[in-house]
Amino acid sequence: MSANIEPKDSIKQKVIGLLHNLFHPHDYFHVLGADRYTSLKIRIILLDAILSLVPLIIVITISYFWFQKILKDDFSHQLRWEIENTKQSIEFFLDERLSGLRFLSSAYTYEQLSDQKTLAGIFSKFKREVGGLVDIGVIDSNGIQRSYVGPYPLEGKSYANQDWFNEIIVRSSYVSDVFMGYRKIPHFAIAVKRDIPEKGTFWILRATIDMETLKKYPSRINLRKNDDAFIVNREGILQTPSRFQGNILEKFQQCTLPQEEIAVTEVREPADRQSMCGYAYINNSPWILVAVIKSTPYGKIPKIFRNELFILSVISIFIGIAVTVVMTQTVVNRIHKSDQEREEAIAKTEHASKLASVGRLAAGVAHEINNPLAIINEKAGLMKDILETSDDLQKNKEKFLVLINGIFESVNRCRTITHRLLGFSRRMDISHDTIDVNDAIKEVVEFLEKEMLYRNIRLEMNLQPGLPKVETDKGQLQQVFLNIINNAIDAVEEGGLIAISSGVRDEKMVRVSIRDDGSGIPREKLKYIFEPFYTTKEKGKGTGLGLSISFGIMQRLGGTILVESEISKGTTFFVEIPMKAGAV
Amino acid sequence: MSHTKILLVDDEVEFVSALAERLELRNYEVKTASNALEALGLIHGYLPDVIVLDLRIPGMDGIETLKTIKKYDPAIEVIMLTGHGDSQSVEEGMKSGAFEYIMKPVDIGELTSKIDKAKRKREKG
Repeated sequence: MSANIEPKDSIKQKVIGLLHNLFHPHDYFHVLGADRYTSLKIRIILLDAILSLVPLIIVITISYFWFQKILKDDFSHQLRWEIENTKQSIEFFLDERLSGLRFLSSAYTYEQLSDQKTLAGIFSKFKREVGGLVDIGVIDSNGIQRSYVGPYPLEGKSYANQDWFNEIIVRSSYVSDVFMGYRKIPHFAIAVKRDIPEKGTFWILRATIDMETLKKYPSRINLRKNDDAFIVNREGILQTPSRFQGNILEKFQQCTLPQEEIAVTEVREPADRQSMCGYAYINNSPWILVAVIKSTPYGKIPKIFRNELFILSVISIFIGIAVTVVMTQTVVNRIHKSDQEREEAIAKTEHASKLASVGRLAAGVAHEINNPLAIINEKAGLMKDILETSDDLQKNKEKFLVLINGIFESVNRCRTITHRLLGFSRRMDISHDTIDVNDAIKEVVEFLEKEMLYRNIRLEMNLQPGLPKVETDKGQLQQVFLNIINNAIDAVEEGGLIAISSGVRDEKMVRVSIRDDGSGIPREKLKYIFEPFYTTKEKGKGTGLGLSISFGIMQRLGGTILVESEISKGTTFFVEIPMKAGAV
Repeated sequence: MSHTKILLVDDEVEFVSALAERLELRNYEVKTASNALEALGLIHGYLPDVIVLDLRIPGMDGIETLKTIKKYDPAIEVIMLTGHGDSQSVEEGMKSGAFEYIMKPVDIGELTSKIDKAKRKREKG
């Protein structure tokens, strides 16, 4: 189970690490190592490219989709307009024929039209004016066809039981669904009712119309390869042939019929193909004009626009990247140069500081040696004085012995100093000795004791007896102690306190703390104190390198320096030394 | 010329005692002190003409001691004793009214001539 979780975690950590690196340059350098300027360049270019290209891509994408939507809307409007036009044409076609029948029914009486001959005469003229008529008949109020002109012998046929006859009784005109009828050819019928008020009865003039004319109308809509347009009745039965939905009088099943008179709806098919359905109810008829548009010309953005968009994007991306690269190059080179200058300056100052510390050491040694020298000088001088004023050597023998002993003591003092100095210099080479940290501290303190004495500084040593020995570079470690204790001496007032203690931090580290009761370091300055050239001492008194060098040394030794400070209470430095070299 | 009264102030007892003896052999009256407080305590009763003062003494700082002496009696001349690398303190001491300074280890002839000069100045002033 845990094996399953680990890879996930490591991927997550990698991603977090990558993001972290991208936004935290120092760590990034740490990870990428030596060639940090190339890394910096890559990082800036990446960030900049993301910043400039993402909005560009968003804008391009949005405008692309926006354009596509406009095209689609335009297409849908166009479709609606075509459907509306066709609907009007069909309505006009029906209206024209119904009006014709209505005119005939009012221009002629029932009796006239019931006469087969008269009706035939009228029909032949009427047919010439109004196309598509197949036959015409007059039906009385009992549903019996009184007269008929047409290709079939339908005179005397009763329509009393047919739906349309019942329907026309309540309405004045009627348009039928398409049906096969006797001829087995699809056609439809139209009829008008004429009342005879004085008799309280009515009669009907009925004509059938072939499909040829009606069939033409749906195809007026601009149809492409996969498109289809046809007429259905309210039950969804096809009234005109369709390319894909089946033959006349079959059921059209695809779209649900809308409520509005005219509508264009989008249909998402299961295969994720988009299509549009347009509908229009044809007034005074049972028909609905339907267009199913499966071709999607609006999906194709015009080539010109696409090309322009593409060229523009490429140009802007190219310019963006070029500018970013050039800018980054300039900036990083600048940084590189200033870093070099800074490093050179640090190296110079470090050298100067080394010289200064050698000078300081020399001055300190001169001072230390001066005192015993002065004693020797006075004792020897006194002996000379005595010899010059008195010849009696025997009398002054005791005195001379005391003076000579004093001279020897002073020589011993000088010897101790030179030995200590030699020991110190010997340890300047990098080496790993097993040392007692307490001894190292004591040796450093010996150098500084006089200074503290003169300034009345109290020194509290609280070194843990039997501290585990550590494997480290004694000379370097002592340089760190020297720097920190020197700083403490500078920080405290006359009569101040410096407390040095040692102890074990954990099984890996020994910890030495050096506390002073000086004025403390303000919080805002605390974060700079390990930076090179940062100093709070008076001008000319500090190089600002002591702590930064010490910090560098402790890092090399695998340890660290920590600092705590409180205003007007003092500062404590903690030097943590690993017990084994390179263990941390 | 009357007896010159000298006060030697240095924390190195061995140094100060030998130097005192050498000066006494040259007919100076000498007293010694090993720190500032002791020196200031002696001034009242002893009234030295010249004080030879080490700038690095425990307790009060040498310059402070010099200023205190000068405040107490500006006529007392002070010769500063210094080690190497104390040029800043020497400068400050001279500004604060010291008569002269002399480097350790001391050349006895140079010291006595400076003491005599100081004494002459004191008598004239």
